[in-house]
Amino acid sequence: MSHSSELRWQIEELALRLVVGDSENGMSPGEWIPALQRIRDCALGEQSAQVAAAANAIVERLQAPGDPPADARGVSIALQEGITCLQQAVEFEKSPCGATDLLPAQDPELLSDFVLESREHLAAIEAQVLTIERDPRDAEALNSVFRGFHTIKGLAGFLEIWEVQKLSHEVETILDGARNSRLTITPRAIDVILQGADYLRRWLAHLESSLQKLPSEEPPRDESLLLRIRSLSSTPSDSAPASCELAGLAAAIETPAAPVTPARPATAAQANRRNEAMAVKVDTAKLDYLVDMAGEMVIAESLVRHDSELGALKSPKLQRKIAQLTRITAELQKTAMAMRLVPIGPLFRRMARLVRDLSRQFGKRVEMETQGDDIELDRTIVEELADPLMHMVRNSLDHGIEAPQERAARGKPPAARLLLKAQHQAGQVVIEIGDDGRGLDRDRIQSKAIESGMIASGEGLTDAEVHNLIFLPGFSTAGEVTNVSGRGVGMDVVRRHIEKLRGRIEIRSTPGHGSTFLLKLPLTLAIIDGLVVGVGQERYIVPLFAVREMFRPTRETIWTVQQRGEMALVRGGLLPVLRLYRRFCVAPRSEDPLQSVLVVVEVGGQRFCLLVDELIGKQEVVIKTLGELFQNVAGVAGGAILGDGRVGLILDVDRLYKEKTDDPAR
Amino acid sequence: MPSTLLSMTGTAAAAQADARAGKYLTFQLAHEEFGICVLKVREIMGLQEITAVPRTPVHIKGVINLRGKVVPVIDLRLKLGMATAEYTPRTCIIVTQVQGESGPVLMGTIVDGVSEVLNLTAAEIEDTPDFGEEVAGQYLLGMAKVKGKVKILLDIDRVLSTQDLHNLNAIVH
Repeated sequence: MSHSSELRWQIEELALRLVVGDSENGMSPGEWIPALQRIRDCALGEQSAQVAAAANAIVERLQAPGDPPADARGVSIALQEGITCLQQAVEFEKSPCGATDLLPAQDPELLSDFVLESREHLAAIEAQVLTIERDPRDAEALNSVFRGFHTIKGLAGFLEIWEVQKLSHEVETILDGARNSRLTITPRAIDVILQGADYLRRWLAHLESSLQKLPSEEPPRDESLLLRIRSLSSTPSDSAPASCELAGLAAAIETPAAPVTPARPATAAQANRRNEAMAVKVDTAKLDYLVDMAGEMVIAESLVRHDSELGALKSPKLQRKIAQLTRITAELQKTAMAMRLVPIGPLFRRMARLVRDLSRQFGKRVEMETQGDDIELDRTIVEELADPLMHMVRNSLDHGIEAPQERAARGKPPAARLLLKAQHQAGQVVIEIGDDGRGLDRDRIQSKAIESGMIASGEGLTDAEVHNLIFLPGFSTAGEVTNVSGRGVGMDVVRRHIEKLRGRIEIRSTPGHGSTFLLKLPLTLAIIDGLVVGVGQERYIVPLFAVREMFRPTRETIWTVQQRGEMALVRGGLLPVLRLYRRFCVAPRSEDPLQSVLVVVEVGGQRFCLLVDELIGKQEVVIKTLGELFQNVAGVAGGAILGDGRVGLILDVDRLYKEKTDDPAR
Repeated sequence: MPSTLLSMTGTAAAAQADARAGKYLTFQLAHEEFGICVLKVREIMGLQEITAVPRTPVHIKGVINLRGKVVPVIDLRLKLGMATAEYTPRTCIIVTQVQGESGPVLMGTIVDGVSEVLNLTAAEIEDTPDFGEEVAGQYLLGMAKVKGKVKILLDIDRVLSTQDLHNLNAIVH
């Protein structure tokens, strides 16, 4: 406990005594003066000048000869006022210096829980604030935002993070006013609330880095923000008419763009709250163990099911029982895997905030719609997806969507439509970021690519090939560099991010009608679809997302090019060949490529062929790390338990390719 | 730190011997009997199919599936510089938990056969004689004489040190 809390505690006790204290005999000034003097001395010792002054003022007032508060009532009033002063003073003084020594004194576990929980609240707050912006009379949304700030305030107070508590309190005051219809939520109020949320986010980031022992600056107190919040909450009577007008005006502008459906958000919010209440936090190590065991169970079950002695019994009853066991184990494994999944909705809602801010900045009108909020993905994927998604949304608003006048000239509705949609497709999750803007400009991309030497000419390139040029490093068609896009660090980074998540990115674009980016992602990072291949006695797993095609080479399709090693002719192009047995020093079944199989793999836009002995089959495998002993083995990304219970090695196609280009002789 | 271990005198050596007293799992390797602290042993299993990991030192045989966990396996004969031998039905894998760089890790060691668990007193354990530089002295905890036979006590944490294996990796490449 710090000194400041000691001081606080003394004042609280004083206040308590005043409330509980017997008014008849407890109100002689002499009873109170020693306690007040103690507070004053304590405050002086800590250089809290304001608290000391406040304490002194009460003492002086109680002792004042000219104005003796003769009766108990007088003393009581003087004390009440004085203690309120004291509380304010200590609140004001302690907040900055209380914060500096807060971290070491606090339980890191509580603090990290606070960060986690507050983030969730802030995400919900942002989503609901945007709902309020569309319909300021949405009481359910208003209540939910209020509750969010209120909870953060309470937790921050408990953890003695005074800056956070103070700001949440101020924002809460506005919201409370709105709840009691004392003031109206104006667009300005929305801005202030969102800025308040941003400020809290900065604090959370600071707390998080401090928890990880990283250097981090405490966010400076934003006085102007506090002032703006106070001016909104303190003068409801003066500003109410004006803000009503403003709100009316805003509503008049916004109404056609935003269809108001008050019934649905309310139920959605209720459902959300129910979900929160039913959730349990589980250590990921325990989850991993559960997944391991479920995987083993599937293998053990399969060994039993295929056991020849059991099969010889030819008992239909036994067969039925085994079939039941099979179903249960499969379901168990699926459930274990699903535990790591979280819905994508919160991520989409974060984008809503970005769209709101950017559309104002660019002076464009955008209506964002989301679909498939309840589609679930691996938690890690959702987290890693935030940056690329943000980038694409920015791009869409900056380049894709036209200004309202331009849209009007083209006969489009003034408000552009931005769709974020998630859906399941063939065991993958596909996320669409679509707009109805101007679409990709083939000619501009082409000329830009020629200008920067990426291609010689655009002739013979399909639209898709031209579109894919935007994924090359250093590509940017933005005429001027804005602070949101156009620095040429855009889409190549996005693609790298998506590929790191074992996903793929595709573009669909129609000039004048808009463009859609499709992200095809795996459900989870824990499982991959693998192509099991055999080389000599060994089996390896090639991640299926990298595999493009496979074929048995003929004498006409395999070449040895001087100085460049072996090449295979695939669809009119020459691709380098990597003999896996050579790379891994394994004895192959045959050194003759005509007896082997070529697997065409693609990574980072580069294709090459892997030469293997045979294809064994496709299998969904749980990825396991090989541990620290094998962390530097080139070309192996991890291990997986195959159907027969043995370990298979998963190939790191990227590393294989990089080594191949380093050393063409291999 | 073999040199400090060997140069220890009198009381210090006695204290060291005390710490070494306890239960040991003994096993054969070629014609010798070795022992490792039983607290390090997680389980003993028959030899099973091992998946080789390419481009690793020769004594690293590969990885096995231990109830859903991928566990590396070391051939202890090769690791200690002994002649390689055919695996027999008595050959088995001792799965040990050793100290890794970032916490405890499971590792399997292939030995010719497991013998018994011995309770060794401090009096039965002696320091390793100085064999000179070329002997892998840093792997040895000491020697135990039981019923006229000598058992070599291994410091399994050092034998299976992943750091050590990384260095080897670097040499191999």
